[in-house]
Amino acid sequence: MLRLPTNGVAGSDGEQLGQATPSYEDIPLSPAVFRRLRAELKDGAANRYELLISASSIGVQLGLLQLSSTSQLFGMAYGIVVDGELMLIEAAAEAEAFGKPYLYRLILRGPESQPF
Amino acid sequence: MQNAQNTFYIALRNRLAELNPNRTIYLRGITRPGILVESNELVTAKLPSDTFVVRWSGLQGDPFLPATLLQMECEIAYASEGTAGNLGMDRGAALTEMDAELVSILQPTCTPKMNYAQSPAIQMGTQIFWTEAKFQPTKIERDRLSRVATISVFSYEEPGEQ
Repeated sequence: MLRLPTNGVAGSDGEQLGQATPSYEDIPLSPAVFRRLRAELKDGAANRYELLISASSIGVQLGLLQLSSTSQLFGMAYGIVVDGELMLIEAAAEAEAFGKPYLYRLILRGPESQPF
Repeated sequence: MQNAQNTFYIALRNRLAELNPNRTIYLRGITRPGILVESNELVTAKLPSDTFVVRWSGLQGDPFLPATLLQMECEIAYASEGTAGNLGMDRGAALTEMDAELVSILQPTCTPKMNYAQSPAIQMGTQIFWTEAKFQPTKIERDRLSRVATISVFSYEEPGEQ
């Protein structure tokens, strides 16, 4: 699920001062492949993951949200929710074939690992 | 303390909007002046370009004065890759323009303290004031130039303030 904040209120000082409670919507993205990037865990270090998403799924959302580029879409997103866990998007790249994207690759930062 | 931080940000934002109305950022569906407080926005992996990002770091108090004087350290970070139309070859000029804008919006170095917890905001009894900016050397990351300027902001704590 791609978590997108809903639009803010124009001219609101309170919103820019962190006084407003933001709302968001979760948008399903599929098909997708999710995997951990770094097998070794260190206490206090954030886990990093890779998410591969079908370009057709992203294309549908671009049309629905009336956005012109994926960088706009991923740039305005709060993160990706996987199994109830929110992860921040650290980087995004696309894979192309015959000049058209077929896959988007996102690098995600998960929650920090906890010591036992 | 919160009132002083809010007042400082709103003062700079309003001065920037007047000085350069074209310096804007599109954030959460809204176009607004190109300055934000980092801790009031969503966490991002990278600083937004061509935007002033305000961060609050150190804090000191002087309890030996009749009213407690707080000294808050503020960092203002900004970066630019130049414009795509110029293939980024104007990134140095873009950063210099932001240097000049920052110097301008920091003058005058004081403003009446406001309470933005209420709407409309109400003016408080004292002013906040700040030092000249200290500019750190330019940082170069491939096609991106960035800089941090540090400012000390002073505010008297008024009765009833947190």
